[in-house]
Amino acid sequence: MPPTDNQGSFLNRISIRRNQVVYEHEVEDLEQFQKHVADRLSELFHPPEDSTAGEPQESLLSIAWFRKLLDAFLCCEAEFKAVVIMGRDANNFSKSPLDRLIPEHLDRTMKALDICNAITHGIGLLQHWQKLAQIAVDSLRQKPIGEGHVMRAKKALNTLLSSIAIDDKENHHHTKSTTSSKDHTTIGNLKSLSYPFAKSWSASKQIQAMSSNLATPRGGEPTGLVVPVYLMSSVLVFVMWAMVAAIPCQERAGLAAHLQLSKQFPWAQPMIGLQEKIGEQWKKKEKKGRSGLLEETQRLEKLGSNLVEFAEGFKFPVEAEKAEEVAAMVEDMGEICRRMEDGLEALHMQVRELFNRIVRSRAETLDVLDQVNKMTTPVPY
Amino acid sequence: MADLNLPPPDQHDEQSDSSSSINDQTHREKLFQNIDQFISLLTNLDQSESSSPPEITESVTAFADLFDVLIVEYESGSKKWIHLEEHESSRFLEFVDRTTNVLKSFSRFHSDQNYAAVINRLSGIQQRAMSILEVEFKSILDDYQTSYDRDQKGKTDEAKTKQKQLSSSASNVHEAPQPELQDQSESQLEEDEFLGYSDEMISNLNKLAKGLISGGHESECTELYFFVRRNAMEENLKLRRFDKFSIDEMQKMQWDPIEKEVSSWTHMFKQFCTSLLPSERRLADAVFNDEKAISNKLFTSLTRIVLLIFLSFAEAVMLTKRSAEKLFKYLDIYETLRDTIPEIEKLISDEGLHQLKSSASLINTMLGESIYNIFLELETSIKTDASKTPVPGGAVHPITRYAMNYLKYACEYSNTLEQIFREHKRIVRPESEFGSDSGSELEHQHSQSNEMSPFQSQLLKIMDLLDANLETKSKLYKDPSLSLIFMMNNGRYILQKTKGTGEIRTLLGDPWVRKRSSDLRIYHTNYKRETWTRLLQCLSHDGLSVNGKVMKPVLKERFKSFNAMFDEIHRTQVTWVVSDEQLQSELRVSISAIVIPAYRSFMGRFSQVFTPGRQTEKYIKYQPEDIETCIEELFDGRTSQQSKKRRRFIMINGSLVNETPPQETYLHSSESDTSLPSIKNIKISLSIHSFNQFPQISPLNSQNPKCFINSTILHQHICYHLFNQE
Repeated sequence: MPPTDNQGSFLNRISIRRNQVVYEHEVEDLEQFQKHVADRLSELFHPPEDSTAGEPQESLLSIAWFRKLLDAFLCCEAEFKAVVIMGRDANNFSKSPLDRLIPEHLDRTMKALDICNAITHGIGLLQHWQKLAQIAVDSLRQKPIGEGHVMRAKKALNTLLSSIAIDDKENHHHTKSTTSSKDHTTIGNLKSLSYPFAKSWSASKQIQAMSSNLATPRGGEPTGLVVPVYLMSSVLVFVMWAMVAAIPCQERAGLAAHLQLSKQFPWAQPMIGLQEKIGEQWKKKEKKGRSGLLEETQRLEKLGSNLVEFAEGFKFPVEAEKAEEVAAMVEDMGEICRRMEDGLEALHMQVRELFNRIVRSRAETLDVLDQVNKMTTPVPY
Repeated sequence: MADLNLPPPDQHDEQSDSSSSINDQTHREKLFQNIDQFISLLTNLDQSESSSPPEITESVTAFADLFDVLIVEYESGSKKWIHLEEHESSRFLEFVDRTTNVLKSFSRFHSDQNYAAVINRLSGIQQRAMSILEVEFKSILDDYQTSYDRDQKGKTDEAKTKQKQLSSSASNVHEAPQPELQDQSESQLEEDEFLGYSDEMISNLNKLAKGLISGGHESECTELYFFVRRNAMEENLKLRRFDKFSIDEMQKMQWDPIEKEVSSWTHMFKQFCTSLLPSERRLADAVFNDEKAISNKLFTSLTRIVLLIFLSFAEAVMLTKRSAEKLFKYLDIYETLRDTIPEIEKLISDEGLHQLKSSASLINTMLGESIYNIFLELETSIKTDASKTPVPGGAVHPITRYAMNYLKYACEYSNTLEQIFREHKRIVRPESEFGSDSGSELEHQHSQSNEMSPFQSQLLKIMDLLDANLETKSKLYKDPSLSLIFMMNNGRYILQKTKGTGEIRTLLGDPWVRKRSSDLRIYHTNYKRETWTRLLQCLSHDGLSVNGKVMKPVLKERFKSFNAMFDEIHRTQVTWVVSDEQLQSELRVSISAIVIPAYRSFMGRFSQVFTPGRQTEKYIKYQPEDIETCIEELFDGRTSQQSKKRRRFIMINGSLVNETPPQETYLHSSESDTSLPSIKNIKISLSIHSFNQFPQISPLNSQNPKCFINSTILHQHICYHLFNQE
């Protein structure tokens, strides 16, 4: 129960004093939280320069970058829960505007879970692409490159490229009708994969639904928790948005327009910077199949079409100069495959961890909110 | 590019001319021998020897030519794998095998021009061979039936078989159809084992897989297999109308449709784990019978994908807003996962299962938490329920019905609930194990046995709270007799429900039941005293005679007040409700037993005092038989028949009238509870605004004839109102 009547007694004065101290601590914690988020995000925006030349893998939108992004998110989330939700007097959340903002935030996290599922599915597709690329790599590493190797690589790459180029809408139905295909240019016509949701589900709309009611807090908001809640929602939407942009996902039309971040907070600056960069790339890519902006995919696509081109003009034996050129491309592709093989499984686990974390945090938050409900209203059922 | 590889025309002719297959075979065997010799020569060459490699034998070229010709036959479509004789397919695979070996042994010398040229040519031929195998592998693999198809087919087959049986028995006693029937049932069995692939198909798939793997195309082969089987499994789900709901969608759905989906989910998931998965496992093992690692990996990946679809559904349900009516479906999901995941573990021994197990355990942890909390909420809602409207006629209160029915269905899952409570008591509230909650006397009694499980003590706690709540509610009646009737009604209902449900009975234990029965007897005695002792005082012989002479005016007063009092009791108590027939007759009998003899004796002693005729009629209103008839009318709950007479209603409710909200409506809930004699008409006053609060309880909805859950829901709705009336 909130202490409504202050009798001005000695004990009450002590408790006011103590509350004061607690309050100052709290303000400090909340400021620290925002600062930590800002630091983590800037590191993603401007990767530290001192990283050794041997490890350039953490470039924007690479698998390694996403793993860092998710790590950053998980850290923010943990701190958010510790600082904002747990151990706090539940009455904080029963007053306006938090009584609205917290449930809205929880609703966003629910929507994020669907995106996690879609991403998990997308990672499965990426793993399939990696396997196809690996076939080409293994095949073209043979010496000398014979016509059989070239044919095999070409077939795998054609399968890869056509799988990437499929339009979402056409792809949605897979039926047994592909059986009849005697298509020798691809491996068994392995293009299609059904999506995890109903046909009408759209990752883009999901992002839109998450961000549309995400209003920037006004200057005079009464409680110090409004901004942290807004921050957490913003970071959540941003992370989901970036993943949807990069990893194959069901229906992404208009994605770029669905993220509006407020410029007034220092922690939002790196996100806005990232959003601009990713947004630019997205505009170039949006209409072209389902590859997404993942660096590895983009490079596979480029190397893949170069190698197909090589295969088409192949004559035995390959000239030394050409062979060198091809070998370099194959090594590149092999390196990407290696990164995908390790990285995708790890990313997959991380997305799953994110999912579990969101589920648990939601339950914990609801427990805190329930205490308020139990005190103020009879439990409805 | 294929035209590069067309064999020289002369060779093609040579092949077609050679009609003698025996010649052909010996020629080929010799060739293979030569090739093998050459390969072993190359492999045994000293590694350090950097001098030029040995000259390539002519056999290699001849071998390449022969293989090339063979492949052309397939490429042109004149030969098809499925029509091959056993030896033909083996021959093809021998070619593949040898080509792989040649390429392997040649690669050491790839810088030698001649070697390089052979590698180039043979790799091309091999690739074409692989393409053929891929296409054949996929087309056979694609020729599956979903288990749904099979079920449908099974049904028609069954029908056909029956028809045959009928016709065969009808026509004559020939034995002929018998073996045919047997065949059919056997083939049915095989189909079940291999998901619609016949033995022949399996053996072909197996050979093709071998060929692809020995030709170095393991990746292509496994990707093909994975995709086709994955699509088959997903298609199967689609045909069975398994809908994929997103978590977000499920958040917005009503519980009713979700409830239905959960039922079919449970069914499908069990079937998937017990029949489909083992079949998939057998299929993978049969196709890749020499490659345990491959079949393991493929099976694990497939299982993972489909299980994730199933688990996603459970996750979405688990994330819906917790509420009391979800308890039973949550329990269903909980039990299904708890029981089936170990079954799946038996089929997979792989790390790939780790994630699945963690997903499943997350779901069950969360569901367990919800289930646990739902019970705590039941406790809270009974504790906090403070509706001020007494049930007319002292009938069974909806909260009693709700709580008892709820517990009855819940206790059907008592083992699971025990498990959940054990797990969660430990995690959530370790302090309550020490009984820090102010336990009632009864709980104390029980805990003496020291063997109470957490769920048991929770159940007892709920029962005690219900008791305390009813006690408070009984005070709402101004008439203490009516309070007692109310307590009797509710106590009886609770006891009957408990006795009628083995699980609750066992959990609550004998001492509890004995205590309840004795409570009921006390209510009964108190009621008799409360209502009837005062009446019996009118029939006392004391103070009526002075010096042996009956004082007529006093007697007149006695009769008058008896009549008035009895009238009042009758008028009031016919409207009271005793729903349990046995209790009703017990009450009537025990009332008759004290009132009738007393009245009879009073009449016998004093009736002749009055002058017969008008005076007798005026004071002796009732004959003993009339009294009996009147007593037989008590506790009939007559209000409903005469509810239009507002006067009566006011009388029944006494204090109620002032408290009821202005807009009042009466909901007739005729409960069809077979285990108990039903109350004909319970009147529950529901204010109209409560309907607005809870749109689902439109009368339309509550009339919907459905299974037990709906009656529970109806109760919930009523209780919802009652709980929220404050």
